[in-house]
Amino acid sequence: MDQNVIKVENLVKYFDGRCVLDGINLNVPRGCIYGLLGRNGSGKTTIIRILLGLEPPTRGQTFLLDAESSELSAKLHSRIGYVAEGHNLIQNYRVGRLIKLCKDLSLQWNDEFFNHLIETFRLPADRRVKELSIGMRAQLNLALAMAIDPELLIFDDPTLGLDTVARRQFLELAIELIQQQGRTILFCSHILSDVERIADRIGILAAGKLVVDCPLEQLKERVKKLRVIFPESAPPNLYLTEIINQQIDGREMVITVANWNKQKQTVLETFKPSSCTEIPMSLEDIFIECTNSNPVSITG
Amino acid sequence: MFALIKREIQDHLVYFIGAAAFAAIFILISIPVVGRYESIKRQGYDYRTPEFTVGIGVPVVAIVIIGICAMGATQMYLDRTRKISALLSTLAVSRSRILLARIVTGILAILTLLVPLTIAAVILLRLYAPPVLMYPGMVFEIFIAVFLMAFACYCIGLQTGWNSGKIIPTLGGIALTCIFVPLILIKGFGVHIVVILVLFIVASLIRTWHTFMTTSL
Repeated sequence: MDQNVIKVENLVKYFDGRCVLDGINLNVPRGCIYGLLGRNGSGKTTIIRILLGLEPPTRGQTFLLDAESSELSAKLHSRIGYVAEGHNLIQNYRVGRLIKLCKDLSLQWNDEFFNHLIETFRLPADRRVKELSIGMRAQLNLALAMAIDPELLIFDDPTLGLDTVARRQFLELAIELIQQQGRTILFCSHILSDVERIADRIGILAAGKLVVDCPLEQLKERVKKLRVIFPESAPPNLYLTEIINQQIDGREMVITVANWNKQKQTVLETFKPSSCTEIPMSLEDIFIECTNSNPVSITG
Repeated sequence: MFALIKREIQDHLVYFIGAAAFAAIFILISIPVVGRYESIKRQGYDYRTPEFTVGIGVPVVAIVIIGICAMGATQMYLDRTRKISALLSTLAVSRSRILLARIVTGILAILTLLVPLTIAAVILLRLYAPPVLMYPGMVFEIFIAVFLMAFACYCIGLQTGWNSGKIIPTLGGIALTCIFVPLILIKGFGVHIVVILVLFIVASLIRTWHTFMTTSL
């Protein structure tokens, strides 16, 4: 059995002649919590929809749990929990009816855990889905995805619309799930602090390409933002490769470099800077730098 | 599979109630009409009164065709707009099962309409002498042809409901109906019409199947 629960091979997707995904390659190993990030319209949801077989790819192949996405059997679907962006629930159904339908159509259902979630979220069974708030819909979708005890969880912006308390509850639940052995999570979110808290590998989509695909700690080590002060005015070119961003103001230069290593440090030292200090970067800072107009590939 | 069929029936219960009510009304209207034929016949007049038959028959056929076509279209249209299959296919259900359950529900709705009518026809034919010359198996042949005709209309509805452009499938459906109805009137309820309808249904189902399996949900 392949160790990669999710495999994406040279995935290309066009929408009305516009290239949304341009040759994406991605592997998510078993037990990994993968945070897939990108700006609006960068193709995160499209990747997820193609993975689940909801959208056909233009080119390339995707695999979930060793099966091609377009040929996912009902049995394999029963091992995958999915929380969709915007929460694709049947809006005119009552909550109780929707729960019964999902239960009837699932091969396994953890009643105890599901009831615990419903009580925690205080979801009313007699109200129609469309009458629920966005947050409650998110909670219902989450509870339905968790109830099948999935081996693979796919969250497409699951905390969208949740208040702070519900978001915290969700994250704690996710952390609880992570502790269960062998569970893999693919997590898309615009709330980067959430992703930073739970993800152990990060992928960043920009301009149709996966510009970052590496463990979170490694990413933080490899992307460096430096404030360099030179004795005289800062040189216009440092002859460093993979510069993500560079700002010069007199003697001061603020530079963001990808794949920082000793060689690059040696090159920088040849310019004999007066001082060189590292500016700490959060995942949000790295994300903003990586999705600018000059994306640099960071993989590992 | 049973859960999927149950969901389809519950969501489109109005068509089942409509089919049952329509069958009941038609039977209630037919009883005095058959009785009238019988009295005309006893008085020695020509009992074949085509204008009366056509007067009832044409609206009945039109209502049945529109109703069944509308059911197929509604099933697919609501699925598309409410993203029902998008949810169902992320559960332990394949797309083919979703479509199969939908088609089975359509067949059940057609049978809800036709079975009571057929039973009533058999009973009435036993009680009264038929106004036209009957031969063994004629009721069965009519039942099969009408069932296939209704199912063909249902298939047109399925295609119309799933397409974002409604005009071409609707016009196509109307054109095909205009071909099928005169064909039945000319050729009768025989093997020919059954073969043509079966071929049409198979082609239509393959097209619907292919579209549903490959389109984005």
